[in-house]
Amino acid sequence: MAGLVPPGTAIPADASKTAHTKADEKIDYMNLPCPIPYEEIHREALMSLKPETFEGLRFDFTKGLNQKFSLSHSVLMGPTELPSQSGETIKIPTAHYEFGANFIDPNLMLIGRMLTDGRLNARVKWDLTDNLTVKANAQLTNEPHMSHCMVNFDYKGKDYRSQFQMGNAALFGASYIQSVTPHLSLGGEVFWAGQHRKSGVGYAGRYETDKMVATGQVASTGMVALSYVQKVSEKVSLATDFMYNYMSRDVTASVGYDYILRQSRLRGKIDSNGCTAAYLEERLNMGLNFILSAEIDHKKNDYKFGFGLTVG
Amino acid sequence: MASRVSLKSKAKGGKGSKGLDEKSTAQCLKEWSTWALKKAKVVTHYGFIPLVIIIGMNSDPKPQLYQLLSPV
Repeated sequence: MAGLVPPGTAIPADASKTAHTKADEKIDYMNLPCPIPYEEIHREALMSLKPETFEGLRFDFTKGLNQKFSLSHSVLMGPTELPSQSGETIKIPTAHYEFGANFIDPNLMLIGRMLTDGRLNARVKWDLTDNLTVKANAQLTNEPHMSHCMVNFDYKGKDYRSQFQMGNAALFGASYIQSVTPHLSLGGEVFWAGQHRKSGVGYAGRYETDKMVATGQVASTGMVALSYVQKVSEKVSLATDFMYNYMSRDVTASVGYDYILRQSRLRGKIDSNGCTAAYLEERLNMGLNFILSAEIDHKKNDYKFGFGLTVG
Repeated sequence: MASRVSLKSKAKGGKGSKGLDEKSTAQCLKEWSTWALKKAKVVTHYGFIPLVIIIGMNSDPKPQLYQLLSPV
């Protein structure tokens, strides 16, 4: 009975609906959404275009002891690249085991990973209040002068975010990003590196709608990075990225795709440096994932293929 | 040139004798902070993962000790 509406009343109902949406479209500048954090401004493009490719065998086992606490065991066997001046890639086969402990709470997140060669990767994220967050990231090694640490203090306002960071070699940085319209957010950052006596300024902008995200970033170190991600459908998104350094005249452009299907996720990209990469994660069963990774660099004649299994 | 070098060494000798007598507070602070950071690095290196495990084992619902070591 409720569905039967006499046709005479349909037209005024429609008119009132369009009037309502037009009123909605008038932007309320006092109620803008909170923007994405400054360092994640290229997040969608990075997720599609830079999957974590690896070479060799990778096995990850995560064991949850309770909702918040889990231990992880990870084995990685494969060649690792050494930086070489000659332009050829020198690879040395290595194998290591990594033990990790994760504690994930709504207010406190602690992630620690310890490798067999004595390196520790620690990440801490602590929400002091609703708006203030402290994050710390450290890579500690047994070799002297090879350890890094970075501490960030983030303050989240109603429609802005600001961040102050300190690093171990007298590295200081600050960034600020503000929502200007419901779709557009603009931000800037400054940093000062004490040891190298360098400082820099950068600006970034991000425009996003339901279907696409476009970002641009410029820095005084000479870097210009633009990216565009289009969500073609629920399962498919295409991304493209352009990076240009006007000091060193280095240009890289890449195009990639990201298919998120029910049982698998496939990401692939091709670069202007002649490098193509693909990354497949297939869900074999509940909690069991099979990973295939390939990166082929035709210019440097470097071929990396990897396979792995993730449990838990 | 030689006279300039000799002047420099004289000045250095003079400064050296003065420097040994007093250490400025800035120097003290720097040395203490370097010492503290070095100790903090060692403590973090050895103690971070045990700290996460202790915090995790004391969270609710409390997991049993054997669960830490068994692969199930």
